[in-house]
Amino acid sequence: MDFFTDGLRRGAQLILGGDAEVLGITWLSLKVALVATLLACGLGVPLGFVVGTTRFWGRRAALTAFNTLLAFPTVVVGLLIWGLLARRGPLGELGLLYTWVAIVIAEVVLAVPIAAALTAAAVQTVDPRVRRTALTLGAGTWRAHWAVAREARFALMSGVMVAFGRVLAEVGAAMIVGGNIRYHTRTLTTAVALATSQGDFALAMALGLVLLALALTVNLILQLFQGHGAA
Amino acid sequence: MGLLSLHDVQHGYGGRQVLAIRELDLERGSVAAVVGPNGSGKSTLLRLLACVEAPARGTVLLDGQAVRSGSDRRRARQRITLVEQRPFLFASTVRENLRYALSLHGVRGPTAESRLGTALQRLGIGGLGDRNARGLSEGEAQKVAIARALALEPDALLLDEPASAADPTSTGALYRILDQERRRGAALCFASHQLEEAYRWSDRLLALTDGQASPVTPENLFRTDLPPGSGTKTVRAGPLTLQVYTDKSGPAIVALPPDDIVVSPEPLHSSARNAFRGRIRRISEDGRGGVTLAVDAGVDLVVRITHSALAELGLTIGSPVVLSIKTMAVRVF
Repeated sequence: MDFFTDGLRRGAQLILGGDAEVLGITWLSLKVALVATLLACGLGVPLGFVVGTTRFWGRRAALTAFNTLLAFPTVVVGLLIWGLLARRGPLGELGLLYTWVAIVIAEVVLAVPIAAALTAAAVQTVDPRVRRTALTLGAGTWRAHWAVAREARFALMSGVMVAFGRVLAEVGAAMIVGGNIRYHTRTLTTAVALATSQGDFALAMALGLVLLALALTVNLILQLFQGHGAA
Repeated sequence: MGLLSLHDVQHGYGGRQVLAIRELDLERGSVAAVVGPNGSGKSTLLRLLACVEAPARGTVLLDGQAVRSGSDRRRARQRITLVEQRPFLFASTVRENLRYALSLHGVRGPTAESRLGTALQRLGIGGLGDRNARGLSEGEAQKVAIARALALEPDALLLDEPASAADPTSTGALYRILDQERRRGAALCFASHQLEEAYRWSDRLLALTDGQASPVTPENLFRTDLPPGSGTKTVRAGPLTLQVYTDKSGPAIVALPPDDIVVSPEPLHSSARNAFRGRIRRISEDGRGGVTLAVDAGVDLVVRITHSALAELGLTIGSPVVLSIKTMAVRVF
């Protein structure tokens, strides 16, 4: 147990002491997670909305595809993106491999199905009368969609939070396309993996605590929103 | 040409046709009632008229102009409002619900406040303004939905079973409000499964059976004027002369229940005082194991008989028949 408490104590010292490297890694993780969540939701939420609210040929197939992609192994996504961005790959000219942008791209690919599937599920449960009522009261298509989104807002918010959580905790793809380069593409998760393999348990523990704190904050924000909803 | 019309419209869901209407006109300053059993297509008809859904085939016309594209429908919906049978109210106050509707029409500020106040007053629910709409009774919610529609001052007001959750007093008050809307110049159309209600409050009646306009007078109803006194009376019902037994006098509706009419090839020697000659125009399954005949007796009358009676009498389309009904079987209301 000394091993653990020692790790925790040194971890706390690193965080409270404002260790520059730990802060840098934390900031990069947060930046990657926020940008990726924003982009993934920008794509996935409208996509899920369309699939959840409109009837078209192939709709069931689309829903099945989203749900299958939820379980897509992250290392496989990392591998595919690596292949695309590698020097000899189709997008190699962009020189994005081993940059934080590459990590964002991989995380977006992972998070879009989450945002889409959870959005579709959220809007499907909304009473069909919501859209019809908005329409009969003179709303255009967009205002009617907005009325549906408002009704589903708590479920939609949960979807966004789940996507954020997935992106923040992801390690496999970030390692492959980011390369875990110190001061450049080292995120909290890849740093924990590295520190553990190097036997620096204290650093790994410190970074793990930060990751936990971030996840906790996300959940608190979510509960705050839902608390307002219930009131 | 009416304000709002349907022309050769067909519509269905999941490959099943639920509505086929050749022609329907809603005129300004008039009230049309759509009657028919559950599942006869009343709600679908109202949704098409409300331009909430586009018909699979055919045309909806507003002021004689075809409503085709999504933006046409959006413009039309600024002038047409539908109150659904189980209306949806947003989870905010009653006042907010009306405010939202008015904001969709670009009406805000003091104008909106005055219009929503008036609408709530007209329905007698001025006191509900600050209540949460989700905590209302079914009857109150229906009134709020109607007030929300009235506040928009639509050119065409469509209502699906507007009095389904109302008590008798509220029902009368509600239809009087609709009559005020008619006098304002709006075109009104309401769906009801209450024939008496439909007859009493509409200028025109459309009967729907399996999504089609029924060519027969629904359930053989006629407006009439009863002479004073009580007992057996002779009245005119459309082209028919009828013996009825009633204590009522003045304007009334008489009904010949389709199950109480006896069909025979020749006049019967029986106690039935009412007998009319006619010809069979249509024979169809009634969906309840019997047969429905449409008989032209100067006016179309619906008669229900059994399959065996149809076979025994050897009836076909065009067969001349005599319809008989006892005086006591003629209903008066």
